[in-house]
Amino acid sequence: MLDFLLAVPGRLYVVATLLPLLAFTLLLLTGLMRRLSVGTPLHRILGGEQPRLLGALIVLAAMASSATIGVTNLQRFLADPAHATHDDAGLAARWSERMDWFRLGSLDTDPPPVFEKQRQENPHRKVPRTALALELGYRIDHLSAVLFAMVTVVGTLIVMFSIGYMKDERNAAVEDHEVEKQTPTVHRFHRRGRFGRFFLFLSLFCFSMLNLLIADNLFQIFVSWELVGLCSFFLIGFYYERPSASYAANKAFIMNRIGDAGFLVAIMIAWTSLGTLNIEEMKHRLRSPAADSHGKLDLAEQFVRVNLEDPIVDDSVKRYSLPAVDAEPGTHLALFPLAWEEADHFHGLGYKRSQDHGFEVPDVLTFTSYGAMPYWLFVAMGLGLFLGCVGKSAQMPLHTWLPDAMEGPTPVSALIHAATMVAAGVYLVGRCFALFAPEVLLVIAYTGAVTMFVAATIALVMTDIKRVLAYSTVSQLGLMMLALGVGGWVAGLLHLLTHAFFKALLFLGAGSVIHGCHHEQDLRKMGGLAKKMRTTALTMLVGVLAIAGTPFFSGWYSKDLVLQAALGFGLTHPQHIALFILPLLTAAMTAFYMFRLWFLAFAGAPRDHHVHDHAHESPLIMTLPLVILAAFSIGVAWGWPLWEVDHSLLAHALNHSAPSFLPTVYAHEYETAHHYHLAVGGAALLAAALGFGLAAIKYWKPRRAMVLGDIKPGTPANFLAKKWYFDELYDAVVLKPTVAIARFAGAFDKRPTEGTLAARRYDAATLDGWLNGLGDATLSAGRSLRRLQTGRLRSYILVLALTTAAMLAILTVLKT
Amino acid sequence: MTDLGLTPFLVLASFLFVCGVVCIATKRNAIGILMGVELVLNAANLNFVAFARFGPPSFRLEGQVFALMVIVLAAAEAAVALAIILNFYNNHSTVDVDRADELRG
Repeated sequence: MLDFLLAVPGRLYVVATLLPLLAFTLLLLTGLMRRLSVGTPLHRILGGEQPRLLGALIVLAAMASSATIGVTNLQRFLADPAHATHDDAGLAARWSERMDWFRLGSLDTDPPPVFEKQRQENPHRKVPRTALALELGYRIDHLSAVLFAMVTVVGTLIVMFSIGYMKDERNAAVEDHEVEKQTPTVHRFHRRGRFGRFFLFLSLFCFSMLNLLIADNLFQIFVSWELVGLCSFFLIGFYYERPSASYAANKAFIMNRIGDAGFLVAIMIAWTSLGTLNIEEMKHRLRSPAADSHGKLDLAEQFVRVNLEDPIVDDSVKRYSLPAVDAEPGTHLALFPLAWEEADHFHGLGYKRSQDHGFEVPDVLTFTSYGAMPYWLFVAMGLGLFLGCVGKSAQMPLHTWLPDAMEGPTPVSALIHAATMVAAGVYLVGRCFALFAPEVLLVIAYTGAVTMFVAATIALVMTDIKRVLAYSTVSQLGLMMLALGVGGWVAGLLHLLTHAFFKALLFLGAGSVIHGCHHEQDLRKMGGLAKKMRTTALTMLVGVLAIAGTPFFSGWYSKDLVLQAALGFGLTHPQHIALFILPLLTAAMTAFYMFRLWFLAFAGAPRDHHVHDHAHESPLIMTLPLVILAAFSIGVAWGWPLWEVDHSLLAHALNHSAPSFLPTVYAHEYETAHHYHLAVGGAALLAAALGFGLAAIKYWKPRRAMVLGDIKPGTPANFLAKKWYFDELYDAVVLKPTVAIARFAGAFDKRPTEGTLAARRYDAATLDGWLNGLGDATLSAGRSLRRLQTGRLRSYILVLALTTAAMLAILTVLKT
Repeated sequence: MTDLGLTPFLVLASFLFVCGVVCIATKRNAIGILMGVELVLNAANLNFVAFARFGPPSFRLEGQVFALMVIVLAAAEAAVALAIILNFYNNHSTVDVDRADELRG
């Protein structure tokens, strides 16, 4: 067993992924048995009505083991000698495996030789299509290895925190006052504690998230993608008796479905046009090969656009050609063979532009032949993929679900809705970076920029401690998307990592505050908590400093790199300079609202004595994760020298798995960025300082009225407090018309006892009218036909005779 | 004797047949209907023997045998039918078939 695992070290990742699933299954079965064994001694052994701590400990043990594997394997991966020698085959053998999951068609054991060779023998020969298969597989590179370690470590800490945070759920009967508040008909609400259920979903989520990280193909990612969405739905609706929670869960689920529809479309396009869902293979099919034997690299790893030549050579072969150098780009995208023969590179394509060569594509595509797909379809694939990421990462215009998702328990907000799941969208964009057309990347950049700015402005005025953090998360995710869109691949994903740590820290800190204040989330009622909750206040300060971009905290490194990339892009393409200005503004706003949060909660004088008097520091099991996360938030991106942003060790590690075409494609951008990197750092620091200064003036020792005063309607602050009226807009544009259409459709089917008289009349005149008419006609036809059966012999004879006569007459006529 | 040919026999047979059918269709008296049936059967008989005489040689025997069989059948049928009519008359004091509607749905 151990030999099997150690033969390919990547298999340990599979084990680490499956451990949470094991915990999930164990908890599920135990819960099922407990439920079925009511009234027997087994029921008491399994916990009876009182939820047991053991389930949570099992999940914690599973997660801790996963984290251990994740961290040790990360070390082993980074130390792999193949990195130095660029031995890709060796890396692949040790860190990736694939197998068929579901094969459609027979296995092609003898793949046809390169199409070009066949064409020489017989120009119109049809090449059999390689069988397609859905695959299971994993592929570890620097990105997934680092993220795997991050997710398992953060997950372990959050599971640990939850054991303390969710302790109320361990009672046999829990009172939920929120339900009483929200539903006037309910006066006293009791339910069984849901301690086990919480950890059940948490472990399923961890499994899905880890599977998403190690997957090497889009289909497997999609399965995990849906699973994390499902767990998110379960956990947002954890207190499902509260109408607000069930509403928020539905909203999150539906918003994500919109995005996932795009994802599914992208998968279908890839399946039909590229014939594979493996991300590496998709990249090899879409981009020209990395190097060729002739040493011509001017088109290496780029999209090659071609034109369909008129006339078509033959029914089974289409001919494509490269457009002239200064002509319009072609309408189709060339697809490249996955299997090459060494000497054959580029001959089919006529790689030298000076020679007028095209290439030919058989009707039936294979992995070994050239191909072509319409360029718009390729762009649609990228947009669909990105739409999935928009939904999952709460980008505009699908961002409205994430703030509402704060209805879930706070550790869930920390794990799923800040550190991991919402980052999956950014991760996927990073993973599939090589598959995006330049147009799509621009869309990504602008979507990210607008999201980042809008969410930051809303966060300025929110008063719920968790909602401030939620909008901050949306804003930071936008920043990552922006970074990826402008080609700052390393910057965006480094920010994803550092953000995961400090945002998990901030959320857990908020959870600790909420726990200490007996579920009070309103910042206006806090204040002066620093003395009561010293550890929470200090660790949260670390988180605030990190997210604001204070030098030497992890956020500083990633944010500076993002801003550098944005400036490089903005200066190279002056029409897109907004992509640099917006993040700079947002950096100032981020510093402002984060310090505002901290000052309102911890500084100044207590504003609500009831809350303040009962506030207490959380137990060690909750503060320990805070301290550990704080340590990560400070130092996770460090390198030597410490003050050089570009020398972050984590960034260097990520750089290994960055797409290799980046330095050539973004050569000018990177050069500009590097040239101005000091100025960018200064500007970012200035912006953050400005935000901090404003927040300090306004909220360090805030006047009561200013904090507690209601926001007047008609002011810009009100516009922000209403979240730019996005919910209202969707309500008017989508919800209302949908309901109206549903009403209209429903009017077709009103029972006699339902609806208004007019609706019933309408129904009687339309659908029901027709259907009832059909039934009535059949009945009356039967009734009238019955009269033919008189029982009178004479009429029968008459009919018989007349019919015979008529038939004879017909026969006679027909015969002549 | 001059040979009349097939046609006069067929004309006579169809005339008899039509008479029989009209008789069945119009009479309310059960005996009358029985007579109509006899007419129809005899029309058929006439056809059989006519075809036996003028038709292809292979029909020569079959036509006459069939005619004999139909005569026997008609006798049997008349016996059964008259028995039914007699019973009907005993029960209903009439032979009007329109009154026989007890099984009507």
